[in-house]
Amino acid sequence: MAKRSSPRRAFRILRRPRNNVRGNWLRQAAILTALALVPAIGEAVYLRERVSWKSPATSDEVSVASAKGWGDNVLWLDARPADDFEAEHVPGAMLLNQEEFNELLPKVLNAWSPEKKIVVYCSKKTCGASREIARRLREEAQLRNVYVLDGGWESWVEARK
Amino acid sequence: MGILGGGAKVNLFWRILGVVAGGVFVYAGILKAWEPMRFASDIDNYHMLPWALSVRLAFYLPWLEIFCGLAVIARVCYAGALAILGAMTTTFIVASVVAKSRGLDVSCGCFGHASKNVPFAWHLAIDFALLAIFACLFMRQRPKSL
Repeated sequence: MAKRSSPRRAFRILRRPRNNVRGNWLRQAAILTALALVPAIGEAVYLRERVSWKSPATSDEVSVASAKGWGDNVLWLDARPADDFEAEHVPGAMLLNQEEFNELLPKVLNAWSPEKKIVVYCSKKTCGASREIARRLREEAQLRNVYVLDGGWESWVEARK
Repeated sequence: MGILGGGAKVNLFWRILGVVAGGVFVYAGILKAWEPMRFASDIDNYHMLPWALSVRLAFYLPWLEIFCGLAVIARVCYAGALAILGAMTTTFIVASVVAKSRGLDVSCGCFGHASKNVPFAWHLAIDFALLAIFACLFMRQRPKSL
């Protein structure tokens, strides 16, 4: 008998009468926190291959439009060779390429502040360079909010037209 | 009659307020559950937790919000849901203020990336309003003998 009425009894506990709140809210909170685990674990298992569990994703791409939307809160870093940088670069950008990484990094760190997002770009031809610079900034300089410009310098020029 | 007033109209008012506040959390939870990695980045942005914990919370918290929001709307596990939502909102407020005071650029995480462009003051105002609603609804549940 007791077993047959248990689901109804359980529902009555959940619906709890108005004057029996104090004893139940902790139990109700425990039930809800446990229930939420079920879909959370399911989603985590489903997406397990696509999730970086131990460290943030190695690179985050950002479009020109999104990066421009960040306004002054962006520190642009040019990962192309120095000659290309001298010829033309994103206004306000600083040079930080692989060849002179160690020499140029202190200057970049001086210009950086915690609220600024870093956007690294290079040309399409050497697009791996911006990813490598972004990786080194994350791992060696322990910086966060480091992004790689989607489409590189060419996409900036295209967006300027 | 509840602590904050009686009558059918007053009760209806609080009922609607509860449904709206619960709905806000269901909506916010769905947005974040849809993109857990983005939410993980938002949590990580506060620089308070290690990534491994941030990413696990990013999977769990949205569902907790959804369940609690639905519980408030349906009035099932009502007091427990209000307590959890109140605690979560308080945590959001404290974390946001601490992060802001450290000069970090944070979105409050309430609506994931959808709320990125909302000014910080508005984030706080919304959080405090929600907290006040949950506190009032929770107090209204208490028996008169308290």
